[in-house]
Amino acid sequence: METDAVILGGGIAGLQSAYRLSKLGMRSVIVEKAPFLGGHTARFACKATDRCRLCGACALEDVLRKTRSADSVKPFVRTAVQRVDDENGRFALTLLRKPPRIIPEKCGQCGECEKVCPVDGALARSPLNNELYIDEDKCLFFKDASCRACMEVCPDAAVNLEEEPDTLELNASAMIVATGFKPFDPELKPRFGYGLVPGVVSALEMDAMLRSDTWFPGEGDAEARSAAFIQCVGSRDPKIGRNYCSRVCCGYAVRMARLMKHRFPSLRPTMFYMDIQNFERAFDKSLEEAAEEVRLIRSIPAEVRKGEDGRPELIYHGPGDERVIESFDLVILSIGITPASPEISTDLGVTKDGFCGTDGENVTTRKRGVFVAGTVQAPRSIEETIAHAVAAAGKAASYVKEMKNGGSL
Amino acid sequence: MRASAVRSVFLTRAARPAEASKRVLVLGGDSIGMNIAERFAIDGFPVLLLGYPAGTQVRDRITLAPDTVLDELQGFTGAFDAILTNSAGRSVERVGFVVAAQPEARVPKFEDYQLPSSRGIVSLSQLEDMLQSGDESLTRRGEWLHVAFLFGLSGESEPAVFSRVLSAIEHLGQGEKVQSYVFTRNLKVAADGLERRYRDCRESGAIFFKFDDAGPVFTSNSGGTLMVFREPLLGLEMELMPDLLVVDERLNPPASLKPLLETTPLAYLSAPFLQPESIRFSGVQTPKAGMFAVGPSRGVFDPAVIEDDVEAVVTALKESVAGVPDVTLPGSPVVDAAKCVMCLTCLRLCPHGAITFAKTAEVDPATCVRCGICAVECPMTAISLAPPAGDPDMISAIRQGLAATSGQGKIVAFLCSRSAAQALKSVPLRDVENLIPIVVRCAGTIAVPHVLEAFQQGAAGVIAAGCFQGNCASGYGTILAEERIALVRELLSDAGIDRDLVRFVPMAGNTPGVLGGAVRELEDRINKDIVKG
Repeated sequence: METDAVILGGGIAGLQSAYRLSKLGMRSVIVEKAPFLGGHTARFACKATDRCRLCGACALEDVLRKTRSADSVKPFVRTAVQRVDDENGRFALTLLRKPPRIIPEKCGQCGECEKVCPVDGALARSPLNNELYIDEDKCLFFKDASCRACMEVCPDAAVNLEEEPDTLELNASAMIVATGFKPFDPELKPRFGYGLVPGVVSALEMDAMLRSDTWFPGEGDAEARSAAFIQCVGSRDPKIGRNYCSRVCCGYAVRMARLMKHRFPSLRPTMFYMDIQNFERAFDKSLEEAAEEVRLIRSIPAEVRKGEDGRPELIYHGPGDERVIESFDLVILSIGITPASPEISTDLGVTKDGFCGTDGENVTTRKRGVFVAGTVQAPRSIEETIAHAVAAAGKAASYVKEMKNGGSL
Repeated sequence: MRASAVRSVFLTRAARPAEASKRVLVLGGDSIGMNIAERFAIDGFPVLLLGYPAGTQVRDRITLAPDTVLDELQGFTGAFDAILTNSAGRSVERVGFVVAAQPEARVPKFEDYQLPSSRGIVSLSQLEDMLQSGDESLTRRGEWLHVAFLFGLSGESEPAVFSRVLSAIEHLGQGEKVQSYVFTRNLKVAADGLERRYRDCRESGAIFFKFDDAGPVFTSNSGGTLMVFREPLLGLEMELMPDLLVVDERLNPPASLKPLLETTPLAYLSAPFLQPESIRFSGVQTPKAGMFAVGPSRGVFDPAVIEDDVEAVVTALKESVAGVPDVTLPGSPVVDAAKCVMCLTCLRLCPHGAITFAKTAEVDPATCVRCGICAVECPMTAISLAPPAGDPDMISAIRQGLAATSGQGKIVAFLCSRSAAQALKSVPLRDVENLIPIVVRCAGTIAVPHVLEAFQQGAAGVIAAGCFQGNCASGYGTILAEERIALVRELLSDAGIDRDLVRFVPMAGNTPGVLGGAVRELEDRINKDIVKG
């Protein structure tokens, strides 16, 4: 198969690059590992309260719609890159494409398979359209072929465990790496109690619950519930090699806190931070508004531990220079954006902060014909990712044109 | 705004030239505007460049208009008329695109801190000039030099300003016997490399005081400016009389945006910038087709993002020349000249500035995004927007939808194509069994007669679902929809019908739960009404 540009990653950066390439009259192939497009954004909840709060999550639906309507974009999901050969500034790729394990045309959405699956998360639903899929990293069949429970119970014969992946040869003139970021693993900062103290969750987990509308602040007593956001977990922390600000988490946490309060007005959110980063224009006013709904405390707690009542307990340095111990019903860790280090990044260069690309260059890499788009290169908001992807698409298109006109440079 | 829009109607040439102009008007002032002009020139776009003094060297295809200002902009993408003034008088230049890439206006915060601009007190820009020119007072190092920076102590600042503060400290630090202090509230490190540079500055000796309150009190005397403050970490009372007090700057949009704002629809949302703060306007796009905003003119000051903007604006122009048709776009609205009475309603209400008048209303097809608001608002029903090929018009869709289903409790849902119609795809089918979806391009086109028609044809309830306020791609489509649904609710009430059988539901493409929930609620209401009798 021939294409102008191959795009690794079908998140918002990859999709936007593909769409803009199509507008420039270029063909592209998107290679996405997951069974659905959208990347992290597909799991973000809309943060609108009584009005849009500018989180940007809905931009995904917009760009998905546009990409789907562009004939020149070919997305391959459940597909991985097996091999890349650089042939004089052009790329020859071998792709490994897995078949759908639950065939959507046959699946009647009865949910019987979900009832019998012994592994948590092995059978999951796409956040985009609710379709069932199998996570092969978790499913026992793909580990040691020890379980076929879903296949046996399915009344529609929609489960397809045994079909082998096929390979696909692809030639492309340019490559855009848009493989995104890895969320910081909060277990690396045990003092915040993740995995140790009940009631401590990561912001991404909270977001997924808000998206699926499965979070409630608790039943019963009329007493208001409290939630604490802890910022900079895995950011601005040179001791663990994170000597950068993840840029998006202040806005993300404030929006999330306001959404929770909008849904449950008696909730009392608190945000513990170092320095609030701007997330809107006219930020003075935004911050004032946010402070009406969210208690802002400039202090990063020293420790989160399990209190005597079972709730998480935060120990922090209070504004009056005193040691404060305060209990919350829920603690949400604003985990940072960390490099995802795609397999092919060895040749592309590494920035000072460990991301893929070259310091001082926005979209070009050390390797001719390979461009980076989105959070694979540095932490970015959704809006900034979209802008960056346009820049990558523009550069890639110029490169493709050059290759077509002159062959190798 | 309105007055000027109306004024330009009669000045605007309605007839569109056969060939769209590829010439670009670039409003610049620093290296960014120049860079953009050069990129265009290399890619074959002729450029008219404003914002640089006479004698500036420019490359082929760039025409420099020195000491010239843009007074007014008229027309549409591919055929703008730029009215320019310079010492020789006024002239009109035809251009196809306009790019606003002027540098930001920097306003020192002397007044915010109630500091006089005097010896020993300078703005960040003034310090930068001093550093650039190797000013003696900074380089003469007999004694220690104490430099105090104020950053974001009055009003939240920007990463772009913090980057300049750090650059100044780095520059000063190259000499010996310098002590820099930064008085701040919130550091702004959310840009490339800033956290690392901040820590490096601290390690190499710069002292940062972070306050929760307004910070130091200033008193000026003959010796200089005395700063008295409580050191925030240890709580100690401290004094400092710096040799130089450096005041940070507020970053404002370029002053020369005014004539562009006057031609930009939705300027009431975007002012003082050219781009509304909305998810619907990404990158360098503005509400005026063919006009692009780079960096400060759209409220962005981060140099790395501005670099993306430069690439994006070049890409946008190449796209418009590539001319790949948008297959999702239906035909342009058609004006029935016999019905049009030139009332100007469409002109006033078009959120995209696509309407002009000659002998009748005319729609610029390259500007129009087919939202359909003009067609609904026209009091003479002179404008019609064809549905996408193969789709029935709205009234037929309502009739067909209701006729095709029997049984009671059917709900007609008017769904905005950009939000609710996207969300519908993810709502489990069992939740929307009773739903007859009618997809509209913008919620602003859901009209009172459509809703009444749905009831007349036997719908038990009606949902109008569109984007949240602040998220409408047509600016005020949501507000129009809300107003009309409020009107229908009143009409129903007056007729003795439960007003809650129709409701407006704001939502996004990724909130299927909101749509599902609204349907369930309405079904409950319908059932309750049936029980009540």
